[in-house]
Amino acid sequence: MSDRTGFLARRAGSSGIRRGEAAAGWLFTTPVVVIVGLFLFIPVLMALWVSFSDWGGRGSPLSGRVNFVGLDNYTAILLDGGLPTRDFGTAIRNNFWYVILVVPLQTALSLLLAVLVNNAVLRGRGFFRTAFYFPSVTSSVAITVLWLFLFTGSGVVNQVLSWVGIHGPNWFNDPSGIVHGLLGNLGVETGPEFLTSRAFLGVSFWDWLAGPSMAMTAYILMAVFTTSGTFMLLFLAGLQNVGHDVQEAAMIDGATSWQRFWKVTFPLLRPTLFTVLTLGLIGTWQVFDQIYAGTAGDPGKTTLTPAFLSYQRAFVQQGWGQGAAMAFILFVIILVFTGFQRWVLRERTPKPKGRLAEAKAGTP
Amino acid sequence: MTATTPRVALQTPKAPAMAREMVGARLWRQVALYALLVALSLVYIYPFLVQVATSFKTEAEAASNAISLIPRTFTTAAYERLFVFSDFPLWARNSIIVTLIVTAGRVFFDSLAGYALSRLHFRGRGVVFALLIAVMAVPAVVLLIPKFLVIRQFGIYNTFFGMTLPLLVDAAGVFIMKNFFESIPVSVEEQARIDGAGAFRTFWSVVLPMARPALITIIILSFQGSWNELSHFIVSASDPDLVTLTKGVAQLASGQLGQGTQYPLKLAAALIMTIPVALLFFAFQRQIMSVTEGAVKE
Amino acid sequence: MKRQTRRRFEVLALLLVSALVLAACGSGSGDGNGDGGDGDLTSSDDPLTILIGSSGDAETNAVQEAVAAWSEQSGVEATVQVASDLNQELSQGFASGEPPDLFYLSPDALVGYAANGSVKAYGDLLENKDDFYEALVDNFTVDGEFYCAPKDFSTLALVINDAMWSDAGLTEDDYPTTWDELADVAAKLTTDGRVGLAFGAEWQRIGVFMAQAGGALVEDGVAVANSDANVTALEYVKEHLNDGTFAYAADIDAGWGGDAFGKQVAAMVIEGNWMNGFMQNDHPDIEYTVVELPAGPSGKGTLQYTNCWGMATDSPNQQAALDLVEYLTTADQMLAFAEAFGPMPAVKSAADAWREANPEMAAFLAGAEYAQWQPVVAEIGSVIGDFNSQLGSLKDGDPKALLDTVQANLEAILTE
Repeated sequence: MSDRTGFLARRAGSSGIRRGEAAAGWLFTTPVVVIVGLFLFIPVLMALWVSFSDWGGRGSPLSGRVNFVGLDNYTAILLDGGLPTRDFGTAIRNNFWYVILVVPLQTALSLLLAVLVNNAVLRGRGFFRTAFYFPSVTSSVAITVLWLFLFTGSGVVNQVLSWVGIHGPNWFNDPSGIVHGLLGNLGVETGPEFLTSRAFLGVSFWDWLAGPSMAMTAYILMAVFTTSGTFMLLFLAGLQNVGHDVQEAAMIDGATSWQRFWKVTFPLLRPTLFTVLTLGLIGTWQVFDQIYAGTAGDPGKTTLTPAFLSYQRAFVQQGWGQGAAMAFILFVIILVFTGFQRWVLRERTPKPKGRLAEAKAGTP
Repeated sequence: MTATTPRVALQTPKAPAMAREMVGARLWRQVALYALLVALSLVYIYPFLVQVATSFKTEAEAASNAISLIPRTFTTAAYERLFVFSDFPLWARNSIIVTLIVTAGRVFFDSLAGYALSRLHFRGRGVVFALLIAVMAVPAVVLLIPKFLVIRQFGIYNTFFGMTLPLLVDAAGVFIMKNFFESIPVSVEEQARIDGAGAFRTFWSVVLPMARPALITIIILSFQGSWNELSHFIVSASDPDLVTLTKGVAQLASGQLGQGTQYPLKLAAALIMTIPVALLFFAFQRQIMSVTEGAVKE
Repeated sequence: MKRQTRRRFEVLALLLVSALVLAACGSGSGDGNGDGGDGDLTSSDDPLTILIGSSGDAETNAVQEAVAAWSEQSGVEATVQVASDLNQELSQGFASGEPPDLFYLSPDALVGYAANGSVKAYGDLLENKDDFYEALVDNFTVDGEFYCAPKDFSTLALVINDAMWSDAGLTEDDYPTTWDELADVAAKLTTDGRVGLAFGAEWQRIGVFMAQAGGALVEDGVAVANSDANVTALEYVKEHLNDGTFAYAADIDAGWGGDAFGKQVAAMVIEGNWMNGFMQNDHPDIEYTVVELPAGPSGKGTLQYTNCWGMATDSPNQQAALDLVEYLTTADQMLAFAEAFGPMPAVKSAADAWREANPEMAAFLAGAEYAQWQPVVAEIGSVIGDFNSQLGSLKDGDPKALLDTVQANLEAILTE
C-alpha cells in the first residue's frame, strides 16, 4: 500500500467523506476476486483432487463413484518405468533442451537488436523496430502454420541452405537429436555403456543427451523469432533508462564502445535482464499451442512437451488423474527454475559508485 | 558484432580528436551496421511475404516453388475454399465475439479493481493483492485440465459464457492499472470527493478519463491476448459452432486423413487471422513501442 | 498484525469453501444416468447429434444425405458434425455430460470408453445383428458384450499408378506376389523425385509386412511382438527404406500415403479402400489399379480396419439412435456408402452386390479372408503410438531392440 493512500485515508477518516469506502473497495474488487476464485483457485483444488483419484472422465469427479488412489498417478509418471514414465521423461527431456537453448538465444538476440536500433542517428530506426517486433503480435497458431511450411523438406529454409551448399534436413519429420548427430559426425554412433545402461524417468542418460531433434530445433528457432521482438522492447526501455551521461563519461575516458557496453551499460541493464530471463523461463516451459497446431509430439515423440502430454493424456486418452498430476509436476518445475534463476542473479553486495570506477579501471 | 555503435558515433566536439584514418574505419562500420540490420529485417519479414505469396499459389506450385514471391499461376482458390466451402467465416465471427467481450470486460474490471487497490482503503485489500500475486505465479498451461473441470461442473461448457467468463479478468492488467492510478496525483479526485461524488462517480468520470494511456495498453493486451488465445477455447468448448479462428486453424494445420498438405489454404487462413492484430499493431504502434512493460507475449 | 493476517486467511477460506459448495450443488445434471450394461434405452423427443471423423467431402456428404433421409422418414431431427480430432471431442463430450448421441468409434477407443461406462452396449438389440461379419463383431465385443454396430470395413492393398507402371515397362503380369518381386518393381519405379512404394511410418501400414512374415502383436492374449517373424519384416522394410525404393510418406513431404500417391511422388502405396473416394475427389485424373499385397515368407497378410456406430450412455434419445443405426446398416445403405466413398459393407448380405459393382476393388474384399486386426486391449492405442514413434527412425534403428520395447509395453498392458 502506498504512502499516498494512507495519507488520503488518514486525512479523510474523520471528515466522513470516506464513509462507504470499504464497501466500495470490496465492490470494485469483487468481480476480479470472484472470477479468479472460481476459475483459478477452485479449478486448482479440483485438479489436485483428480490427480489423487481414479476419475475416468465420465460424470463428476466429485461423485461418490470416484476413488482416492493416493500417489498412484504420480508414481505411474515418475517411478514405475513403464510407458507413462518414459513418455513423461521424454517430454521433460525435449522441453529441457528447448528451455536451455531458447532462453539464452532469445535474450542475446533481443539485446543485440535493442542495441542496434537504439542508435539515435540510425536511419530507418522505426522501420527496423517494426520489422523486428511484428512477429510478436501474431498468434502462435498462425506462426506455426507458417513455420510448418517454411521448414518442409523442399521448403524455403532448405532452399536457402542449399545456396551455401548445405543439404537441409526434413525438419518437422526428422527425429534425430542434434547432439547425437554431432557425435555421429565424430564417429560416435552408440553411447558408452555407463550412459546407455542407466536411466532417469525411463529415458537412458544417453538419450537425455540426444539434444533437441531437428523438429524441436525448428520450434526453437520459431520461439526465438517470435519472442525476440518483445524482449527487444524491454531492453530498449532499459537502455533508455541508462541514459547517455554515463556513457559519455565513459567515452571521455577513452573506453572503446565494446568496453563501454560491457563495463557500463550491461551491468545497469540487470533489472531488465532479470525480467527477460524470468519471463523466458516461465514461457518456455509452457510449450503447448505450437505442438497442438503442429506436430502433436511427432516425430518419434521428440516434440512432446509436458504441457501437451498432460493435455493429451487427459483429454484424448482419458487418463485424467495422470494428466492432472503432470500439470502439478510441471508447476513445481517452473517454480524451481525461476527460483534458481533468481538465486543466480541475486544482487550481490551492490557497489553503487563502483561501476564507473570499474569501467575506468578497465581502461589502461 | 563489434560494429555495435550505440548513439556514440556522433561527431561531438567533446569526443577526443580522431585521427583521419579513423573516419574510414567508422564509415566501414556504418556500412556493416546497416548491412546487418537489413539482413536481420529480411529474416524477420521475408517469411510473411512468402506467406502472402503462397496463399495465391496453386498447391503444386507451393511445393515446387516455395521461395518465390510471385506466383506463376495466380489463383484465389484458397480464399474461395475458405470463405465459401468451409466454416472459416463462422470461426471469424466467434473470434470477434469473444475478443470484444473479453476486451470490454478486462478494460472495465481491471481498471475498477486497479483503482480500488491503489486508492480505496478497505480491510482485506492486502488479501486481494496477495491473491493476485499468487494468480500471476500459476502458469496458464497448468490450468488446462482444472479449468475444463470447473467449467463443466458449472454447466457452462460449450457456451460463450464459459469461453469468455474465465478470461474477463487478468491479474497483469489489474497491476498495470493500479500502477498507473498510483502515478496520478490524489488532489484531482479529492476535489470530486469533497463535492460529494461517490466512489464510483469519482472513478468513472474523474479518474478513468485520465487513464487513457493505461487503458490503451489494456485494450491492446486484451485484444491481442484473446484473439490469439487457443488453449482456453480447446478446453471450454467442443461444439463446432463455437470454434474460434485459433482453434479452427490449428486443427486445419494439424490436418486429418484425406486433407493433404494444402499449404496455400492453411497459409491463407493464418494470414487472415493475423490481419486484425496487425491492424491493431499499426494503429497503436507508437504506444506499443513506448509501452513496453507488460506488453509481453509468451 | 499476526491476528489480522489470520483473519484474512479465514475470509479467504470461507470464500473458497462456499464456492466449493456451490460447485458441488451445480453438478447435478448429467450424472445420474445408468451405466452401459443394461438393455433399457432412453427415449425422448430430443434431436440427435452424430459426430463423425470424415475422410473428406465425399464421406461427409454421403453421411449427411443418409441421415437427412432418415430424419425425414422418422421425424426425428438429426445433425451431422465433422470432428477434426474425433477422440478429443468424444472424451470432452463424455466428461462434460453432453456427448453426441452417435459417433464413429474405433475398437481401441471402445475399450477405454467401455471401461468407464461412457458407451452403451446395444449390439444385441440390433435386428440385423446376425448379418454382420463375425470378425467385425469380435472387434466390438468387450468382456463378452457386443457393444456397437460395425459401420463398414476395409483392408489394406497395394495401389498402383497405371501410367508410371507402364512407363517403367511393366505389364499386368508383373504385379508383385512376393517380397522379392515387390522390391524389384519398386526399384524399377523409383526415379529422381519419386519413390517406388510409400506408406505411413506406422504399424497400421508396416504391420502388413509383419503379418506376411507370420508375425503379430498379440496371439491368444499373449504378447508376441518381438518374434523372429516381426524382426524379419522390419529388416525387409528397413533395407528398402535405406536403398531409397520405399519411403515414408512424411519423408517425401506428403501427409499420408494417399497424399503421396496423389502428388505423384510415389508410384505405389499401401492403403485401404478409402483411396477410392479420395482419388475421385482430389485426383480424378490419375488412373490406378488395386491388387492384393504380395505374400511374405509365411504367405499372404494384411490388416483390417473397422469403425462402429458408438452410442453414448448419456444420450437422452437412444431409441431413436438405435433406429438410425439400423437404417444406416442396411445392405442398401451400406452399398450407397460404398459407392460414395469406398468402404466395404459390414454385412454379409451386401457382399455379392458390392463385388459386382466394384470388380476393380476385389483385392480389398479378398484381403478380408486373411486379415489381422489391432488387438482389442485397453491402452493398446498408446502402445501402438509409441511403436509408431519409433518406426519413424527405423532407417537407422535396430529392429530387434525396437520390437523388444513394444513387447515390454504390450506385456505391461496385458497383465493389467
